[in-house]
Amino acid sequence: MSGGQFGGLIGDLLGHPFRTVIFAGKFLAFTHLFFEYGIQTAPAQGPSMLPTFELLGQWLVVSRRHRFGRNVEVGDLVAYNIPVDENVGVKRILGLPGDYVMLDTPGRESQAMIQVPQGHCWIVGDNLAASRDSRYFGPVPLALIRGKVVATIKPFHFQWVEKNLFHRENRSPAN
Amino acid sequence: MSKFLGQFTNHLVRYATWLPPLICFNNYVAQVTFISGPSMYPFLNPQYHESLRQDLCLVYKMYAQQNLDRGMLVTFRNPDDPDKITVKRIIGLEGDMVRTKPPYPHEYFQVPEGHVWVAGDGDKSKDSNYYGPISIRLITGRITHILSPWNRAGRVKWWEHPVHRNGDVNAGN
Repeated sequence: MSGGQFGGLIGDLLGHPFRTVIFAGKFLAFTHLFFEYGIQTAPAQGPSMLPTFELLGQWLVVSRRHRFGRNVEVGDLVAYNIPVDENVGVKRILGLPGDYVMLDTPGRESQAMIQVPQGHCWIVGDNLAASRDSRYFGPVPLALIRGKVVATIKPFHFQWVEKNLFHRENRSPAN
Repeated sequence: MSKFLGQFTNHLVRYATWLPPLICFNNYVAQVTFISGPSMYPFLNPQYHESLRQDLCLVYKMYAQQNLDRGMLVTFRNPDDPDKITVKRIIGLEGDMVRTKPPYPHEYFQVPEGHVWVAGDGDKSKDSNYYGPISIRLITGRITHILSPWNRAGRVKWWEHPVHRNGDVNAGN
Protein backbone atom coordinates (compact mmCIF):
# COMPACT_ATOMS: atom_id res chain seq x y z
CA MET A 1 0.00 0.00 0.00
CA SER A 2 1.43 3.34 -1.04
CA GLY A 3 0.56 6.37 0.95
CA GLY A 4 2.99 9.17 0.30
CA GLN A 5 3.09 11.36 3.33
CA PHE A 6 -0.43 10.24 4.33
CA GLY A 7 -0.82 7.07 6.31
CA GLY A 8 -3.74 4.76 6.82
CA LEU A 9 -7.02 5.06 4.98
CA ILE A 10 -6.42 8.46 3.36
CA GLY A 11 -3.16 7.23 1.96
CA ASP A 12 -4.85 4.14 0.57
CA LEU A 13 -7.54 6.15 -1.24
CA LEU A 14 -5.62 9.22 -2.42
CA GLY A 15 -4.87 8.94 -6.13
CA HIS A 16 -6.78 5.67 -6.50
CA PRO A 17 -10.17 6.59 -7.99
CA PHE A 18 -11.30 2.98 -8.40
CA ARG A 19 -10.43 2.17 -4.81
CA THR A 20 -12.23 5.32 -3.66
CA VAL A 21 -15.42 4.38 -5.50
CA ILE A 22 -15.36 0.88 -3.99
CA PHE A 23 -14.82 2.34 -0.54
CA ALA A 24 -17.70 4.80 -0.97
CA GLY A 25 -19.97 1.97 -2.13
CA LYS A 26 -19.10 -0.18 0.86
CA PHE A 27 -19.62 2.75 3.20
CA LEU A 28 -23.00 3.59 1.69
CA ALA A 29 -24.09 -0.04 1.96
CA PHE A 30 -23.02 -0.15 5.59
CA THR A 31 -24.85 3.02 6.55
CA HIS A 32 -27.91 1.88 4.65
CA LEU A 33 -27.96 -1.38 6.57
CA PHE A 34 -27.62 0.55 9.81
CA PHE A 35 -30.75 2.56 9.01
CA GLU A 36 -32.49 -0.58 7.76
CA TYR A 37 -31.80 -2.79 10.76
CA GLY A 38 -30.86 -0.38 13.54
CA ILE A 39 -32.29 3.08 14.05
CA GLN A 40 -34.04 5.27 11.54
CA THR A 41 -35.32 8.83 11.71
CA ALA A 42 -38.18 10.18 9.64
CA PRO A 43 -40.35 13.30 9.63
CA ALA A 44 -43.88 12.91 10.94
CA GLN A 45 -46.75 14.66 9.26
CA GLY A 46 -50.51 14.49 9.21
CA PRO A 47 -53.28 14.78 11.74
CA SER A 48 -53.90 11.11 12.48
CA MET A 49 -51.72 10.93 15.60
CA LEU A 50 -52.75 14.23 17.24
CA PRO A 51 -52.22 14.99 20.10
CA THR A 52 -49.37 12.49 20.56
CA PHE A 53 -47.49 13.90 17.59
CA GLU A 54 -47.79 17.34 16.13
CA LEU A 55 -49.12 18.11 12.71
CA LEU A 56 -45.74 19.08 11.24
CA GLY A 57 -42.14 19.67 12.12
CA GLN A 58 -41.55 16.70 14.34
CA TRP A 59 -39.17 13.87 13.58
CA LEU A 60 -39.56 10.32 14.82
CA VAL A 61 -36.85 7.90 15.88
CA VAL A 62 -37.86 4.42 14.75
CA SER A 63 -36.19 1.33 16.14
CA ARG A 64 -35.99 -1.09 13.23
CA ARG A 65 -35.09 -3.89 15.59
CA HIS A 66 -38.83 -4.16 16.08
CA ARG A 67 -39.44 -4.70 12.36
CA PHE A 68 -42.03 -7.33 11.46
CA GLY A 69 -43.62 -6.73 14.85
CA ARG A 70 -40.83 -8.33 16.83
CA ASN A 71 -41.32 -7.72 20.56
CA VAL A 72 -44.03 -5.11 20.09
CA GLU A 73 -46.75 -4.80 22.69
CA VAL A 74 -50.23 -3.39 22.81
CA GLY A 75 -49.91 0.38 23.20
CA ASP A 76 -46.68 0.71 21.22
CA LEU A 77 -46.44 3.25 18.43
CA VAL A 78 -45.28 1.66 15.21
CA ALA A 79 -44.29 2.81 11.74
CA TYR A 80 -45.79 0.53 9.12
CA ASN A 81 -46.15 0.14 5.38
CA ILE A 82 -49.74 1.11 4.64
CA PRO A 83 -51.25 -2.01 3.06
CA VAL A 84 -53.43 -0.17 0.54
CA ASP A 85 -50.99 2.40 -0.85
CA GLU A 86 -47.28 3.10 -1.11
CA ASN A 87 -46.69 5.26 1.95
CA VAL A 88 -45.52 4.73 5.49
CA GLY A 89 -47.82 5.50 8.41
CA VAL A 90 -47.50 5.75 12.17
CA LYS A 91 -50.22 4.33 14.40
CA ARG A 92 -50.76 2.76 17.80
CA ILE A 93 -51.12 -1.00 18.23
CA LEU A 94 -54.42 -1.81 19.91
CA GLY A 95 -54.49 -5.56 19.37
CA LEU A 96 -52.08 -8.39 18.75
CA PRO A 97 -52.91 -11.90 17.46
CA GLY A 98 -55.67 -13.43 19.58
CA ASP A 99 -56.89 -10.16 21.08
CA TYR A 100 -60.49 -9.04 20.65
CA VAL A 101 -60.86 -5.55 19.27
CA MET A 102 -63.73 -3.30 18.34
CA LEU A 103 -64.35 -3.11 14.59
CA ASP A 104 -65.79 0.38 14.55
CA THR A 105 -65.09 3.69 16.25
CA PRO A 106 -66.13 3.75 19.93
CA GLY A 107 -69.38 5.67 20.35
CA ARG A 108 -70.81 4.48 17.06
CA GLU A 109 -73.83 2.26 16.96
CA SER A 110 -72.02 -0.93 15.97
CA GLN A 111 -70.40 -2.69 18.89
CA ALA A 112 -69.10 -5.59 16.77
CA MET A 113 -65.77 -7.06 17.77
CA ILE A 114 -63.36 -9.36 15.98
CA GLN A 115 -60.45 -11.49 17.07
CA VAL A 116 -57.17 -10.35 15.52
CA PRO A 117 -55.99 -13.23 13.29
CA GLN A 118 -52.67 -14.99 13.51
CA GLY A 119 -49.71 -12.91 12.33
CA HIS A 120 -51.70 -9.66 12.27
CA CYS A 121 -52.22 -6.66 14.49
CA TRP A 122 -54.91 -4.04 14.93
CA ILE A 123 -53.63 -0.48 14.61
CA VAL A 124 -55.55 2.72 15.19
CA GLY A 125 -54.53 6.38 15.17
CA ASP A 126 -54.86 8.46 18.32
CA ASN A 127 -56.99 11.01 16.52
CA LEU A 128 -59.94 8.76 15.78
CA ALA A 129 -61.78 11.27 13.63
CA ALA A 130 -58.90 11.90 11.22
CA SER A 131 -57.18 8.57 10.95
CA ARG A 132 -57.30 5.93 8.25
CA ASP A 133 -56.35 2.74 10.04
CA SER A 134 -57.47 -0.81 10.77
CA ARG A 135 -61.05 0.40 11.03
CA TYR A 136 -60.75 1.09 7.29
CA PHE A 137 -58.42 -1.63 5.94
CA GLY A 138 -58.74 -4.31 8.60
CA PRO A 139 -56.01 -6.13 10.51
CA VAL A 140 -52.50 -5.38 9.25
CA PRO A 141 -49.95 -8.18 8.75
CA LEU A 142 -47.11 -7.86 11.25
CA ALA A 143 -44.76 -8.27 8.29
CA LEU A 144 -45.68 -4.72 7.22
CA ILE A 145 -44.43 -3.18 10.46
CA ARG A 146 -41.21 -1.29 9.88
CA GLY A 147 -40.33 -0.56 13.48
CA LYS A 148 -41.33 0.91 16.80
CA VAL A 149 -41.33 4.65 17.44
CA VAL A 150 -39.08 5.14 20.45
CA ALA A 151 -38.55 8.90 20.54
CA THR A 152 -39.44 12.18 18.90
CA ILE A 153 -37.14 15.00 17.91
CA LYS A 154 -38.07 18.61 17.51
CA PRO A 155 -35.36 21.15 16.83
CA PHE A 156 -33.25 21.20 20.03
CA HIS A 157 -35.64 18.94 21.87
CA PHE A 158 -35.35 15.18 22.20
CA GLN A 159 -38.04 13.20 23.99
CA TRP A 160 -38.57 9.51 24.58
CA VAL A 161 -41.98 8.14 23.70
CA GLU A 162 -43.85 6.94 26.76
CA LYS A 163 -46.38 4.22 26.41
CA ASN A 164 -49.32 5.72 28.25
CA LEU A 165 -52.07 3.18 27.65
CA PHE A 166 -50.99 0.88 30.44
CA HIS A 167 -48.77 0.81 33.44
CA ARG A 168 -45.86 -1.39 32.54
CA GLU A 169 -46.15 -3.55 35.64
CA ASN A 170 -49.73 -4.74 35.80
CA ARG A 171 -51.02 -3.85 32.31
CA SER A 172 -54.18 -2.38 33.77
CA PRO A 173 -55.64 0.82 32.35
CA ALA A 174 -54.02 3.99 33.66
CA ASN A 175 -55.91 6.30 36.04
CA MET B 1 3.08 -17.07 14.03
CA SER B 2 2.15 -13.53 14.98
CA LYS B 3 2.86 -12.48 11.40
CA PHE B 4 0.41 -15.12 10.20
CA LEU B 5 -2.21 -13.93 12.69
CA GLY B 6 -1.73 -10.34 11.60
CA GLN B 7 -2.19 -11.19 7.93
CA PHE B 8 -5.13 -13.42 8.74
CA THR B 9 -6.91 -10.64 10.63
CA ASN B 10 -6.10 -8.21 7.88
CA HIS B 11 -7.72 -10.45 5.26
CA LEU B 12 -10.68 -11.18 7.49
CA VAL B 13 -11.41 -7.51 8.02
CA ARG B 14 -10.99 -6.80 4.34
CA TYR B 15 -13.46 -9.51 3.36
CA ALA B 16 -15.87 -8.52 6.10
CA THR B 17 -16.21 -5.06 4.59
CA TRP B 18 -17.79 -6.74 1.55
CA LEU B 19 -20.59 -8.11 3.69
CA PRO B 20 -22.83 -4.99 3.70
CA PRO B 21 -22.73 -4.60 -0.11
CA LEU B 22 -23.50 -8.30 -0.43
CA ILE B 23 -26.48 -8.10 1.92
CA CYS B 24 -27.76 -5.03 0.07
CA PHE B 25 -27.42 -6.90 -3.24
CA ASN B 26 -29.39 -9.83 -1.84
CA ASN B 27 -32.06 -7.52 -0.42
CA TYR B 28 -32.59 -5.22 -3.37
CA VAL B 29 -31.25 -6.78 -6.56
CA ALA B 30 -31.32 -10.56 -6.68
CA GLN B 31 -31.02 -13.59 -4.51
CA VAL B 32 -30.61 -17.31 -5.06
CA THR B 33 -32.80 -19.47 -2.90
CA PHE B 34 -34.03 -23.03 -2.45
CA ILE B 35 -37.77 -23.67 -2.66
CA SER B 36 -39.22 -25.85 0.06
CA GLY B 37 -42.57 -27.53 0.11
CA PRO B 38 -45.12 -28.82 -2.40
CA SER B 39 -47.33 -25.75 -2.80
CA MET B 40 -46.12 -24.95 -6.34
CA TYR B 41 -46.31 -28.56 -7.55
CA PRO B 42 -45.90 -29.43 -10.40
CA PHE B 43 -44.12 -26.24 -11.48
CA LEU B 44 -41.59 -26.18 -8.66
CA ASN B 45 -40.45 -29.22 -6.66
CA PRO B 46 -42.29 -31.71 -8.91
CA GLN B 47 -40.57 -34.57 -7.11
CA TYR B 48 -41.30 -33.42 -3.62
CA HIS B 49 -42.79 -36.79 -2.68
CA GLU B 50 -39.88 -38.88 -3.94
CA SER B 51 -36.78 -36.78 -3.33
CA LEU B 52 -35.33 -34.40 -0.80
CA ARG B 53 -33.84 -32.29 -3.56
CA GLN B 54 -35.21 -28.78 -3.72
CA ASP B 55 -35.38 -26.50 -6.71
CA LEU B 56 -32.88 -23.66 -6.78
CA CYS B 57 -34.36 -20.42 -8.02
CA LEU B 58 -33.32 -16.88 -8.79
CA VAL B 59 -35.43 -14.24 -7.07
CA TYR B 60 -35.30 -10.85 -8.76
CA LYS B 61 -36.02 -8.13 -6.24
CA MET B 62 -35.88 -4.83 -8.08
CA TYR B 63 -39.23 -3.08 -8.55
CA ALA B 64 -40.85 -6.14 -6.97
CA GLN B 65 -44.09 -4.35 -6.14
CA GLN B 66 -44.52 -2.71 -9.54
CA ASN B 67 -45.98 -4.00 -12.81
CA LEU B 68 -47.44 -7.10 -11.24
CA ASP B 69 -49.40 -9.33 -13.58
CA ARG B 70 -51.51 -12.44 -13.43
CA GLY B 71 -49.46 -15.61 -13.65
CA MET B 72 -46.28 -14.17 -12.09
CA LEU B 73 -44.51 -16.16 -9.42
CA VAL B 74 -43.88 -13.86 -6.49
CA THR B 75 -42.19 -14.17 -3.13
CA PHE B 76 -43.79 -12.40 -0.21
CA ARG B 77 -43.71 -12.29 3.56
CA ASN B 78 -46.35 -14.65 4.84
CA PRO B 79 -49.26 -12.69 6.35
CA ASP B 80 -49.69 -15.40 8.98
CA ASP B 81 -46.02 -15.58 9.92
CA PRO B 82 -43.88 -12.47 9.30
CA ASP B 83 -40.61 -14.41 9.46
CA LYS B 84 -41.55 -16.73 6.61
CA ILE B 85 -41.10 -15.96 2.91
CA THR B 86 -43.61 -17.71 0.67
CA VAL B 87 -43.76 -18.37 -3.08
CA LYS B 88 -47.11 -18.31 -4.88
CA ARG B 89 -48.60 -17.40 -8.23
CA ILE B 90 -50.63 -14.23 -8.71
CA ILE B 91 -54.17 -15.16 -9.73
CA GLY B 92 -55.96 -11.84 -9.52
CA LEU B 93 -55.01 -8.17 -9.40
CA GLU B 94 -56.90 -5.45 -7.59
CA GLY B 95 -60.46 -5.15 -8.85
CA ASP B 96 -60.51 -8.66 -10.32
CA MET B 97 -63.33 -11.00 -9.41
CA VAL B 98 -61.74 -14.33 -8.50
CA ARG B 99 -63.37 -17.66 -7.91
CA THR B 100 -62.06 -19.01 -4.64
CA LYS B 101 -61.39 -22.55 -3.46
CA PRO B 102 -62.97 -24.33 -0.49
CA PRO B 103 -61.59 -23.01 2.76
CA TYR B 104 -62.57 -19.52 1.69
CA PRO B 105 -66.07 -18.60 2.90
CA HIS B 106 -67.34 -16.91 -0.30
CA GLU B 107 -67.30 -18.44 -3.75
CA TYR B 108 -66.53 -15.21 -5.57
CA PHE B 109 -64.45 -12.39 -4.21
CA GLN B 110 -63.38 -9.04 -5.58
CA VAL B 111 -59.75 -8.23 -4.80
CA PRO B 112 -59.58 -4.92 -2.89
CA GLU B 113 -57.30 -1.95 -3.68
CA GLY B 114 -53.60 -2.48 -3.11
CA HIS B 115 -53.99 -6.23 -2.83
CA VAL B 116 -53.51 -9.30 -5.02
CA TRP B 117 -54.93 -12.78 -4.89
CA VAL B 118 -52.23 -15.45 -4.76
CA ALA B 119 -52.50 -19.21 -4.97
CA GLY B 120 -50.23 -22.19 -5.26
CA ASP B 121 -50.30 -24.43 -8.32
CA GLY B 122 -50.65 -27.60 -6.27
CA ASP B 123 -53.36 -28.91 -4.01
CA LYS B 124 -51.24 -28.71 -0.88
CA SER B 125 -51.08 -24.96 -0.71
CA LYS B 126 -51.90 -22.51 2.00
CA ASP B 127 -52.65 -19.38 0.05
CA SER B 128 -55.19 -16.61 -0.40
CA ASN B 129 -57.91 -19.24 -0.12
CA TYR B 130 -56.89 -19.47 3.54
CA TYR B 131 -55.82 -15.98 4.52
CA GLY B 132 -57.54 -13.87 1.87
CA PRO B 133 -55.95 -11.35 -0.52
CA ILE B 134 -52.47 -10.16 0.39
CA SER B 135 -51.21 -6.59 0.36
CA ILE B 136 -48.85 -5.73 -2.47
CA ARG B 137 -46.55 -4.26 0.18
CA LEU B 138 -45.78 -7.79 1.40
CA ILE B 139 -44.25 -8.79 -1.94
CA THR B 140 -40.45 -9.00 -1.83
CA GLY B 141 -39.53 -10.32 -5.27
CA ARG B 142 -40.43 -12.46 -8.24
CA ILE B 143 -39.02 -15.75 -9.40
CA THR B 144 -37.51 -15.25 -12.83
CA HIS B 145 -35.27 -18.30 -13.32
CA ILE B 146 -34.98 -21.88 -12.20
CA LEU B 147 -31.29 -22.67 -11.75
CA SER B 148 -31.37 -26.30 -10.69
CA PRO B 149 -32.15 -29.10 -11.59
CA TRP B 150 -30.62 -28.73 -15.04
CA ASN B 151 -33.41 -30.32 -17.04
CA ARG B 152 -35.86 -27.61 -15.96
CA ALA B 153 -33.35 -24.79 -15.65
CA GLY B 154 -34.15 -21.60 -17.46
CA ARG B 155 -36.43 -18.64 -17.52
CA VAL B 156 -39.77 -18.88 -15.75
CA LYS B 157 -42.31 -18.34 -18.52
CA TRP B 158 -45.09 -17.06 -16.30
CA TRP B 159 -46.87 -15.48 -19.23
CA GLU B 160 -47.63 -18.94 -20.63
CA HIS B 161 -49.71 -19.87 -17.60
CA PRO B 162 -53.46 -20.06 -18.37
CA VAL B 163 -54.22 -17.43 -15.76
CA HIS B 164 -52.28 -14.89 -17.80
CA ARG B 165 -52.87 -16.20 -21.32
CA ASN B 166 -56.64 -16.32 -21.18
CA GLY B 167 -56.96 -13.24 -19.05
CA ASP B 168 -59.32 -15.55 -17.23
CA VAL B 169 -58.93 -15.08 -13.53
CA ASN B 170 -60.81 -18.28 -12.83
CA ALA B 171 -58.54 -20.51 -14.89
CA GLY B 172 -56.04 -21.06 -12.12
CA ASN B 173 -58.61 -22.40 -9.75
